[in-house]
Amino acid sequence: MQLFLEQMLNGLAIGAIYALITLGLALVYGILRILHVAHAAIYTVGAYAGLAIFSSTHSLALAVIGSMLFCAFLGVLIERFVYYPLLKFPPYVPLIGSIACLLAIEELCRMVAGPYILSFPAELPFPSFTIGGIVISSTLSAVYGISAGVLLLLWIITTKTELGLAMRATSQDMAIASSMGINSHWIISVTFMIGSAVAAIAGILVGIYYNQVYPTMGAVPAYKTLALIVVGGLGSVPGAVLAAVLLGVAETLLIGYAGIPLPRDALAFIAMIAVLLWRPQGLLGGRR
Amino acid sequence: MTEILLSLREVSMHFGGLKALDKVSFDLCNGEILGLIGPNGAGKTTCFNTVSGVYRPTSGEIRFGGIRTDGLPPHRMAALGIGRTFQIVRPFPNLSVLDNVIVAMGLPCYRGIIPSCGSWKRQTTRDGAMGLLSKVGLVSLASQKAGLLPLGNLRRLELARALALNPRLLLLDESFSGLRHEEIAMQEELVRKTRESGISILLIEHNMRVAMGLSDRLVVLDHGLKLAEGSPEEIRKNPEVIQAYLGKGGNSNAA
Repeated sequence: MQLFLEQMLNGLAIGAIYALITLGLALVYGILRILHVAHAAIYTVGAYAGLAIFSSTHSLALAVIGSMLFCAFLGVLIERFVYYPLLKFPPYVPLIGSIACLLAIEELCRMVAGPYILSFPAELPFPSFTIGGIVISSTLSAVYGISAGVLLLLWIITTKTELGLAMRATSQDMAIASSMGINSHWIISVTFMIGSAVAAIAGILVGIYYNQVYPTMGAVPAYKTLALIVVGGLGSVPGAVLAAVLLGVAETLLIGYAGIPLPRDALAFIAMIAVLLWRPQGLLGGRR
Repeated sequence: MTEILLSLREVSMHFGGLKALDKVSFDLCNGEILGLIGPNGAGKTTCFNTVSGVYRPTSGEIRFGGIRTDGLPPHRMAALGIGRTFQIVRPFPNLSVLDNVIVAMGLPCYRGIIPSCGSWKRQTTRDGAMGLLSKVGLVSLASQKAGLLPLGNLRRLELARALALNPRLLLLDESFSGLRHEEIAMQEELVRKTRESGISILLIEHNMRVAMGLSDRLVVLDHGLKLAEGSPEEIRKNPEVIQAYLGKGGNSNAA
């Protein structure tokens, strides 16, 4: 029982991190209908930028803020110079552009920081708990606290503010939104900033959680998050978050209990195929 | 009725070899209802799209309230005071009727760098939006998803949404098409009231009875060219207009 609960807690943490990465992808798909594969590269850069700032300043707060700003900027660069000019073409054209960005940024990281696995020796300033004999380490509680905070903040922004209303309007009909006084290109940029800043947080959390930062750390999330937004229901942010959390838990439990000699990622995809066979429109996807 | 609000000077819009608009000029005075009519493909909607900033005209000059506006993007035109409806109704389908109107009331917020006034201003915005909805008779449907409304309600929702911009000029693109008899009468009444509140109106209309009945003046387009301009009486009698509508069949003119 105790093992099960510990596995659950780990799975939840992994799911929460997946949710943070997937969020940006779901936001971008919702507004531009583009599969933003390069989002995983932004997450990698987020981890590297965070590590670089942390190593030179020894301040985790500065590292997080600096990395978020840098990634927001990088996200807007990709949007302005890769996606926006390609929007008039069929969707596979920006997708190819996105894959190119992913590879280019990965290679850039390798050239700048080297191909090695770097460690991220930061302590997250969160308390650790012991409840009923089960230890929740400070890393775990940090992952929970930060992801819950980010998700809550985003929920407030998208549902309660004028900005969120403008974002929803733009994602439903960009031309009409413009006629209603919304600078839709700016709203698109803001969406990229938000998604990329959240990816930076995810990158730093993963770096600290596994104590690893390396150039291809975005490769697995790149395709896993793609599958997650499909499972969640394309364009549905709550669906993507739900799918991410479920996947984290399912992966961890399957590995812990099923004893199937398959790698973790294979299990993840089998689970996703099963969901799609059962609900082709995704968990929370409606008709579109 | 003398001050000019909108003026087009030799405005052309070419798509490849197609001259959708060819050196069209006309003025719209403050407080006027100006009708834009013409057969299908005459360039009426293209004309709207150049005025509202969707297209940058190939050549020519557009002035709104004295400011040169050709080439400005749609959101700037909305901010300057041009509200519009669409030939094919396009509400935000997944937003509530109320939110559809509130979106258009956000103008002062969208201007900032980070376009968010937060939620604390919502109550006054909400009241304003409800006021507009009651004007067009949609209060009881405020919380419905807009995508579920029938056409007549959607046409009125589009009107409310355009009015929410607090415009000086309203562009109505076939706001009467597809409506039932009673609904047309209701819509006509709304348009008249809107004008009385001081908003000038440029409207595209296929229903001649409606266009003639509402407009102070009419501009007739045909194949991108301005064919005629004048009062409904003058237009009704103009032989060229009759020919454009009925074709050149036979050798006798229908005049």
